[in-house]
Amino acid sequence: MAIITISRQNGSLGDEIAEALASRLGTIVISRKYALDNFFGEINPGTLDRLNESAKFFEMPLPGSNRTYSDILVERIRTLASESKDKDLVILGMGGSVLLSGFPDAIHVRVTASEATRINTIAKKYRITNDEATEVLDIGDRKHKRFVKTVYGKDITSPEQFDLILNTDRLSVDECVDAITELARKHDIRVRLSRSNESSKTIDHQSRNISFKNETEEEFARILNLYNIEWLYEPKTFPVEWDAEGNVTMAISPDFYLPRFNLYLELTTMDQKYVTKKNKKMRLVKELYPGTNIRIVYKKDFNELVDRLKLFGGLTDNS
Amino acid sequence: MANLEEALKIEHVVYSEETIRERVKEIGKQITEDFKGKELVVIGVIKGSLYFLSDLTRAIDLPVKVDMVGFSSIPDTTSKTGIVRITKDIDIDITDKHVLVVEDVIRTGLTTAYIIQNLEMKKPKDITLCTMLLNPDRLLMTIPVKYYGFEINDLWLAGYGLDHDEIGRNLPYIAQIPKRK
Repeated sequence: MAIITISRQNGSLGDEIAEALASRLGTIVISRKYALDNFFGEINPGTLDRLNESAKFFEMPLPGSNRTYSDILVERIRTLASESKDKDLVILGMGGSVLLSGFPDAIHVRVTASEATRINTIAKKYRITNDEATEVLDIGDRKHKRFVKTVYGKDITSPEQFDLILNTDRLSVDECVDAITELARKHDIRVRLSRSNESSKTIDHQSRNISFKNETEEEFARILNLYNIEWLYEPKTFPVEWDAEGNVTMAISPDFYLPRFNLYLELTTMDQKYVTKKNKKMRLVKELYPGTNIRIVYKKDFNELVDRLKLFGGLTDNS
Repeated sequence: MANLEEALKIEHVVYSEETIRERVKEIGKQITEDFKGKELVVIGVIKGSLYFLSDLTRAIDLPVKVDMVGFSSIPDTTSKTGIVRITKDIDIDITDKHVLVVEDVIRTGLTTAYIIQNLEMKKPKDITLCTMLLNPDRLLMTIPVKYYGFEINDLWLAGYGLDHDEIGRNLPYIAQIPKRK
């Protein structure tokens, strides 16, 4: 499940990317037009024009209500995001990155391009001159920026609110959609893992930068890469023993998690005394966290795997 | 020139032709019962499953479709180990079909996991695994092995599809060979 907000500069192909992304995910784009059509009940044409024209009208209360259009907009989008569960959601514009900044499920994308590219795109799209396109861009960019500033008091162009910024000067719509979907897929795995800690006593141990403890782990990661098997390094800690006050006295953070196989692997290629301790921890994990698939890769397993890969040059009927 | 047994330096027979034949018949019968009335595609993994696939499919009394999949490692400048890639993809459309993957031997399950991941992209209804030999003590991956001929340990084996430097696949039985240094 992915919630993806897309902020874009005019003429950067952001709208086209949102549409293609929604189509790939089998969902629809929640855009300003969608919001105006669906969030506020029936709107008379005059109000609709004003809401389309200027951000400040979002600060007006709805007829017969003390709540403003922006109040409703914020509430409806946050509700959509909260209730999306296993559905994908693509939110285009409307300051989605600001609106959903506290949502762990959401990833925020900004689509940009150089002015020359954007002018060219706008000129082609609307069959106008480059000078006219420059003017359209100026107005459009100012409106986008003003909308977010007026409604949320934030600057939509500041980069720190985005997880991914794409420059379409040299990227196609398809390439951008590939990048976003892959990021969303991996992000979803990480969020699900984090969330799984809420219902158990396990601790989130995910890091944004992998630092292997030894060469064996590095080699094993290479073997998994060889087979195109996705892995996360030490993403979770399983406490297995506590003292009388409830402090954790023994825990294990399995070296690898393979999301596709919902499997934790712990490498044990050291001394036998450590193996015995790890075996005990494994047993406790299975007892305390039923349903957890966890296995030890013993030194013998690892060496044999490496030997076979060497012998067969990676090609292995026998591995 | 040495004959096949001499070339492989066979230590002893682990599973005879007769034992294999009987076991394949049993597995074939079980698969026939389990997939009765279902559309089944049997996919053998090149090259090890060659003989097992051939015997097994003839022991299944169903109108199955048969295909094969092959993979190989190719060098990759960014890693020491290279990358595994499909070299012979399946030709049959398996979308929404039951798929039975046939292997000669599953040890760690890494190659099987790789094949499953690739086949899953083609959206079959489900994927079931059948292997002639299974080493449960070495199995690392959580993969759905439903049918297997025999459990093995860490012996080095050849015959009935299993090779030693590409030699020995055509040995009609499974034999222990010396571990290579």
